Amino acid sequence: MIQCKGVHKWFKDLHVLNDINLQVTKGEVLVVCGPSGSGKSTLIRTINKLEPINEGTIIVDGMDLADRKTDINKLRAEVGFVFQQFNLYPHLSVMNNITLAPRKIRKTPRREAEEQAMQLLARVGLAEKHAAYPSQLSGGQQQRVAIARALAMNPRIMLFDEPTSALDPEMIGEVLSVMQDLARSGMTMMVVTHEMGFAREVANRVIFMDAGTILEEAPPAQFFRTPQHDRARQFLNQLLTPMHGASTTAAA
Amino acid sequence: MDFQVIADNFTYFMIGSWPKGDLGGVALTIYLAVTSCLLSFIFGLLLGLLSVSRHRFISLPTMLVINLVRGVPLLMVIFWMYFLLPAFFGHGFPEIRTVIIALTCFTAAYMSQIVRAGVEGIPRGQLEAGTSTGLKHWQVMLYIVLPQGLRNMIPSFVNQFVSLIKDTSLAFIVGVSELTHVATQVNNRTMAYPTEIFLFIALVYFLLCYSFTSLSRWLEKRLSWRKSV
Repeated sequence: MIQCKGVHKWFKDLHVLNDINLQVTKGEVLVVCGPSGSGKSTLIRTINKLEPINEGTIIVDGMDLADRKTDINKLRAEVGFVFQQFNLYPHLSVMNNITLAPRKIRKTPRREAEEQAMQLLARVGLAEKHAAYPSQLSGGQQQRVAIARALAMNPRIMLFDEPTSALDPEMIGEVLSVMQDLARSGMTMMVVTHEMGFAREVANRVIFMDAGTILEEAPPAQFFRTPQHDRARQFLNQLLTPMHGASTTAAA
Repeated sequence: MDFQVIADNFTYFMIGSWPKGDLGGVALTIYLAVTSCLLSFIFGLLLGLLSVSRHRFISLPTMLVINLVRGVPLLMVIFWMYFLLPAFFGHGFPEIRTVIIALTCFTAAYMSQIVRAGVEGIPRGQLEAGTSTGLKHWQVMLYIVLPQGLRNMIPSFVNQFVSLIKDTSLAFIVGVSELTHVATQVNNRTMAYPTEIFLFIALVYFLLCYSFTSLSRWLEKRLSWRKSV
């Protein structure tokens, strides 16, 4: 479904993506992790061309992103994207946030679009919030609406860019469980996240990135038990036992 | 002070010699302001959107025209139009329309920059969210950016319109009988009451502008929505 070959990207002098090769097959859940600044967010944003690349090829659902004949808007409609900051439209109700794209792009009649939206809202556990405005929702609820909005175009692939990083701890669970259900339903997913519990339980494969390169690629069991690189071991140590990292700093 | 002169000429101040003759005074001032406001809103919106275009061959020439107009006094724009339009059309051009075109050009240039700021003030994430669902760029603008941006622009639009009300007074230079022109006429005829007349005129301009500002404050409250955190 997703194929990256020799992808390079520079921001001025900074080499943010350095020879990225990866593949996501249908129904697979790929988790991308790594320290901040490792290029993981940039990578996921290149998959629907929110970020252009300088070199290499990306093929999504059989369409080459670099090909001039590819209708990029059509491709984006097939690929759902969930942002760290939710990015709901504040001037529209939850219902209209979800139905905007289907109605304007697919020309779905309003009633049909709203029926589908109600089903999606039920699926993310927010059916009673259809008339609310984003500002009236908690962060976790906003993110679940954002997932419903991305699903409204019936995408074949879902991309998540740190979907729980902006959330209070007690709201992370509700978003992760929606994502877990989605994975179980057979959705092809690529998820940038620090939630290692999610990676362990849901992912088919984990990719570890640092400084723009993929250092490690393994099934979660193997990745967590026997990470190959020092950098990955360090990262996991700090993430899984945060107190450990804190005490060493204090000792130093 | 003798305000009898105001009472004697009150209808003339308000509507000119209408209905027997031409419309003038306050009524014409309002007509000039409202017409130019509506027109400059439309053209300002258009110019503003062109100036934030992603294509440089559209945005650069647009900015050039906008800056050209903004760099010239309004009086000069009115003169331009006054001498240019007849030359361009090959026949005389009605003064009122000349002034409306001049006011529209001038105000649209300013409005366009309000639009530009309003559009650029919308967080990038909003555009990206729309784009990522497959909306085309113009759809993202129309359904996501403009509805949010326009509400933010209301206070600046109101400022601009209040300036516009006052700017109509410059129409007297080409003999359009709006409020200021009518006032000078009455002043020339009566000779003895300049203080009374121009105090009154100032008060009328103030009331016009103030009532409009109040109206728009009410409108702003009605249109505001709670922003998401």
